[in-house]
Amino acid sequence: MRVLLQSAASGILIGGVYALVGIGLTIIFGVMRVINFAHGELLMIGMYLTWLIFSSLGIDPFVSIVITIPLMFVFGAIVQRTLIHRVLNALPQNQILLTIGLGLVLSNLVMLIFTSDYKIITTRYSSSTIHLAGLPLSTPLAISFLVTSVITALLYLFLLKTDTGQAIRATAQDRDAAQLMGINVSWMSVLAFGIGTALAGTAGALVSPTYYIFPQVGSAFTLKAFVIVVLGGMGSVLGATLGGVIIGVTESLAAVYISSGMKEVFVYVLFLLVLLFKPSGLLGRSRM
Amino acid sequence: MRSHAELARQADLLNRSFVGVLTALKWLFGMSALAVAVPVVAYAQNVKIGVINSVTGPEAPIGENLTNGIKLAEEDLSKSGIKLELIWEDDTGKPQIAMSAMEKLATRDGVAGVVGPYTSASANAVAKLAQRYQVPLLVPAAAKEEITRQGYQWVFRLNAPANVYAQVLFDAVTELGKPKTIAFVYENTDFGTSTADAGKKYAEKKGIKIVADEPYSKGSPDYRSTLTKIKALNPELVFMVSYVVDAILLMRQAREIGLKPQAFLGGGAGFTTTQFASDKAISNLVFTSTQWSDDVSWPGAAEFAKRYNAKFGKEPTYHAACAYASMMIMADTAAKQHGDRAKIRGALASGSWKGIMGDVKFENYDGYTNQNKHPMLVLQIQNGNYVSVYPAQFAVKKAIFPFSGW
Repeated sequence: MRVLLQSAASGILIGGVYALVGIGLTIIFGVMRVINFAHGELLMIGMYLTWLIFSSLGIDPFVSIVITIPLMFVFGAIVQRTLIHRVLNALPQNQILLTIGLGLVLSNLVMLIFTSDYKIITTRYSSSTIHLAGLPLSTPLAISFLVTSVITALLYLFLLKTDTGQAIRATAQDRDAAQLMGINVSWMSVLAFGIGTALAGTAGALVSPTYYIFPQVGSAFTLKAFVIVVLGGMGSVLGATLGGVIIGVTESLAAVYISSGMKEVFVYVLFLLVLLFKPSGLLGRSRM
Repeated sequence: MRSHAELARQADLLNRSFVGVLTALKWLFGMSALAVAVPVVAYAQNVKIGVINSVTGPEAPIGENLTNGIKLAEEDLSKSGIKLELIWEDDTGKPQIAMSAMEKLATRDGVAGVVGPYTSASANAVAKLAQRYQVPLLVPAAAKEEITRQGYQWVFRLNAPANVYAQVLFDAVTELGKPKTIAFVYENTDFGTSTADAGKKYAEKKGIKIVADEPYSKGSPDYRSTLTKIKALNPELVFMVSYVVDAILLMRQAREIGLKPQAFLGGGAGFTTTQFASDKAISNLVFTSTQWSDDVSWPGAAEFAKRYNAKFGKEPTYHAACAYASMMIMADTAAKQHGDRAKIRGALASGSWKGIMGDVKFENYDGYTNQNKHPMLVLQIQNGNYVSVYPAQFAVKKAIFPFSGW
């Protein structure tokens, strides 16, 4: 029972971070219908930013997200304006090539600058635990889950309550109709890509105290983000949140009760089952 | 490919076609470089050696050590009058790319011999081609046993195979105490599973009961659930096999959940990096086995470490030492045999060398062909430093046992 609770708890905690990665990807897809294959690399940039700030200024990774988020937002906005914007009406395979290419350029650029050495952030609390109802929980994971929850809540508020948020959702629902209603859809696209990038960067910042950093770290997260987004329903923010937590818990439980080498098999079996019985994903219909 | 295969296929196809384009570009460039180089390189004693290594891709951080080791060998060889022409190939850690690199080296470049590749999976794939094209291949640091167990006359290996990683560790701990139970945690790669399989066999032989057997897929951010399960079984030994920083994550998370066996045993690779040792809170008193250490009494080892440190600004790993020694042996033999592949093979099979890896001789024994009987070392991390503690003739300090807790 204890083992079950413990593994479910760490699955939920890690799932929170997965959710953040997925939400970024789903917003970008929702608004622009562009599949961002460079999403993991954006996360990697966030990790390196965090590491850079930590090692040169000594600012705690969880504090430095107040610097990372705006930087990543601006970076994403620039990428959208200069690159993604040009292929919005192009063939899907061209869009895919562009984002894959962007990912390759980013990871190799980072490798040129920082070499391929693994970086690891060691803080006071790196391997410490807090006890919640008798269960030992990893301190950095627990903090990152809290931060994730706050950011997700703020994002929901933004999307549901503010005019700009509603405009983004309108663009996601029907780009042409939104444009006819006087919404500046190209500005919404910049905004959406900026937010998506900032979320990926934040996720990178949040996992960096418990994970390690290297230029190719992105690909694992890109794949995971896709599973999360498709599982939850393409373009659905709520779906991505749910998908992230489901994947986190499935991985964690499969690792304990089956075998940790096999945990991904269960993730994908679950994924296939959802696609078989609900091809649009868990929350596929309600877009955002 | 790892277990993601099903879904990754589409992305991977695209990825692969990219790599294809890149390789084609590289060939174009390589050819123009050759065209320029041919008239200049007219010396008689020119030796052409191919190097296959993981320069980019996930194994690149370790691949870099091999590259550096080979660069030092290049310096030393040119001092001794051998004009070495190295042809570098990057396998990005993937066997299929390593194979096409080998084909290119064997047929187009006409190298006298090949040193590499780094990873077990790549080395095993390339070994078949070395045999087919009859090119002497010297594998510097890949551990999978099978590589030299297939009777390939053209394949040589300098480092000790995977089973020795575990054997030497169990020999050391059974001399220190009487552990009865053990848990295995290892990554599900060629290196991880073959090391762990050998370990399991040897543990049974030593009368240690295996209470947990946990392969994991590397690079996942969370091993807590696996470790929690192991903690519940309360083993006296925990044996782990991981590349690079997974070792740090595993130990951090082991500390988080309070796993406390009599000893943590790390099967080389990630447990023998300075980065791991310097994280004192988690690395103290961990045992590991290694192919090489700078405090060992083999001739030139300490000096190699000093030179390496001065040139590259970091400590050499065993990979660097293995690659250095391999290149020295391959280039020296190739020069002496005037680049004749058959003669080089013969000279490698019959010769013996002494250097920073101790005595090197490629022998046939216990089903191995052309395998160097390399003695491995057991190191213990004491206060952030690796100290040789076993076997006795190479030991510098006494081992601390059992593990005193977090």
